[in-house]
Amino acid sequence: MQLDFKTRELTLKLVYYGPALSGKTTNLQAIHELVAPELRGRLMTLETKDDRTLFFDLLPLVLQAGRNLQVRIKLFTVPGQVIHNATRRLVLQGADGVAFIADSQRAETKANAAAFQNLRLNLVENGLDAAKMPLIIQFNKRDMPDIRSDAEIDLMAQRGREPVYKAVALRGQGVLESLVGLVTITLEALEAQHQLADKFGLRPEVLLGELQTRLGMKTEIGRIGRGGAR
Amino acid sequence: MSSTTTSNELVMGEVGRLEQVVDRRALAEVCRSFHDLFALPVRVFSAEGVLLADAHEEQAVCAYVNGLANGRAACTSVVDAVKRLEPDGGSVTHPCFTGAEYRVVPMVYQGRRIGRFVIGPYVPAEMKEVPRSLLVLDSRIDPEKSRGLLGQMPRVRADTLIRIEEHFSRILDLILFSGHRAFLTSQMHVASVRQSYRELAEKNDSLQEAYDRLKELDRLKSNFLATVSHELRTPLTSIIGYSDMLAAGIAGELVGEQKEFVETIRSKGDHLLALITSLLDLNKLEQGTVRVERERLDAKDMLRELQKTFAPAAAKKGIKLVVEVEPDVPPLWADPVRIRQVLFNLTENAIKFTPAGGTVRFVAREGIADPEGDGGGMGAVLLLTPRRALEIRIVDSGVGISEVEHARIFDAFYQVDGGSTREHGGTGLGLSIVKRLVEAHGGTIQVESEAGQGASFIVTIPEPEEP
Repeated sequence: MQLDFKTRELTLKLVYYGPALSGKTTNLQAIHELVAPELRGRLMTLETKDDRTLFFDLLPLVLQAGRNLQVRIKLFTVPGQVIHNATRRLVLQGADGVAFIADSQRAETKANAAAFQNLRLNLVENGLDAAKMPLIIQFNKRDMPDIRSDAEIDLMAQRGREPVYKAVALRGQGVLESLVGLVTITLEALEAQHQLADKFGLRPEVLLGELQTRLGMKTEIGRIGRGGAR
Repeated sequence: MSSTTTSNELVMGEVGRLEQVVDRRALAEVCRSFHDLFALPVRVFSAEGVLLADAHEEQAVCAYVNGLANGRAACTSVVDAVKRLEPDGGSVTHPCFTGAEYRVVPMVYQGRRIGRFVIGPYVPAEMKEVPRSLLVLDSRIDPEKSRGLLGQMPRVRADTLIRIEEHFSRILDLILFSGHRAFLTSQMHVASVRQSYRELAEKNDSLQEAYDRLKELDRLKSNFLATVSHELRTPLTSIIGYSDMLAAGIAGELVGEQKEFVETIRSKGDHLLALITSLLDLNKLEQGTVRVERERLDAKDMLRELQKTFAPAAAKKGIKLVVEVEPDVPPLWADPVRIRQVLFNLTENAIKFTPAGGTVRFVAREGIADPEGDGGGMGAVLLLTPRRALEIRIVDSGVGISEVEHARIFDAFYQVDGGSTREHGGTGLGLSIVKRLVEAHGGTIQVESEAGQGASFIVTIPEPEEP
């Protein structure tokens, strides 16, 4: 997080993490598609020939949270391939929140778990408290065959403490809900730690309202509780 | 918020300064091209107000006004105001006393003002008359001349200007985006390499540490072995010596079981001495302190001697010993003591593992020396010189050795079948000593065998290299 009192500007860094080919870049592409152009910058991607992320993707969102207060949300993805761990660790530096994009396919269960362990390790290596990092988990690719069932994910979600979302990022389903969910818990954590409302006049509900309106989300998301899948 | 010193530009994906991501020379070219196309002057400033690119020609009216002291002062104050202008929201228009205008357009990137560009001076298409502000500046100003000069200035309609401004903004944004992407990529690349290097260097250090520790332990082990073997040998020599004297009856004639017991003490003492000597030998060979004095020997004589020496032991087990020497075999270039040690050991093994009624063959023939050095290297066929070698095979018809064991039987203390130690005796040091002795001659030892099919040990000793 960066606070600029002079220009009245808050910058958040949110990182999309997950195993290779789980749809991190696709999430950013969907957000880029769904969000009005005046709200977002260009989607910066750096891919290899075979459409694999080499370094990271970056999508900036810019919001007005009340009068004379600008909030910039920078969405990053990490490269999922195992060999790019140094890059993953670098991208994770300074993250305020993490969206873990898991692949719903049964065959990817182990890859999901390994990537999650890697996330925890890299958080620790970066001097970040893994237990305190705002985190949501998205089960992507719900339209694929042989996936873990809704009932199964719901059950697992109740066991865990992170909010869990289901998505088909390729069709934009569940992508914005995941983003709003992540922004919500990230703001909660930052408020608790830095008292942004007192010091900066940032009211999370105003920002969230603005975000949802600008994202064209009609239904009220409401406060995100712990556990349970959406 | 990050624990390391990675730059904020990299951590947050920010553009710190416009100059960081935009090439000034290329930017100047774009501005020049813009000027050529639209005939409008353009300047690009960083957020800090540094002029990064400038494409303009002095307008005739400006030259005229600047020729007057009042005009020069007024012009300077307008230009300064334009330079300092930081538009807060969108673009702003700044008027000049000549009636011309400047358009100041902010450059916003990722929601942040990163610089601005200024188009102008130009004359708004709507302007018809020479403005009073110009005429009142100085009494020497000629209205007709002014009208003519203002007519030479580029004219532009307000809606056209907005489109031009929009177009130039997009071009600059593209340049900025591409530059930023390249900047982040290169930064990330360097940071990743640095991170990987650091991790590898740490691993290397810990491996080196472990290696040094092991080397030191190995040295301590060798020293320990040498000391212990030496210390054990001294009292053992006395034990053997005194048992010898007892057996020889020097301290009085021994009777019945007394003699038998003393003989046992002596033979076990000899065995223990052989074991300790082997350990010392192995240790010396491992440390490379054994000297091998090679001389020309005759293979046939050597094998016949071997046959004679082992004849009683073989006869006891009903084993036939056969010597086969091919005609014209090369000489055996070896240290006589050491090569005997090798061949005795192999023969002992062969007889030990051959069942009653079997055969042990000693075969000598010409072999090929394994070329030393980089066998698979570039130009090996030119660089390596072939050498004649003598090959001695000791072939038994015993239990044989399975292929998986072939590489391990030359390890110290290894025995093919743990159980056979009891059955056949031995220390497990013999073959490891043999291998090192053969290698000390520049030779090789190999085994060819399958379990149950007997075994052949092949010793190849090359001729010495030409001096």
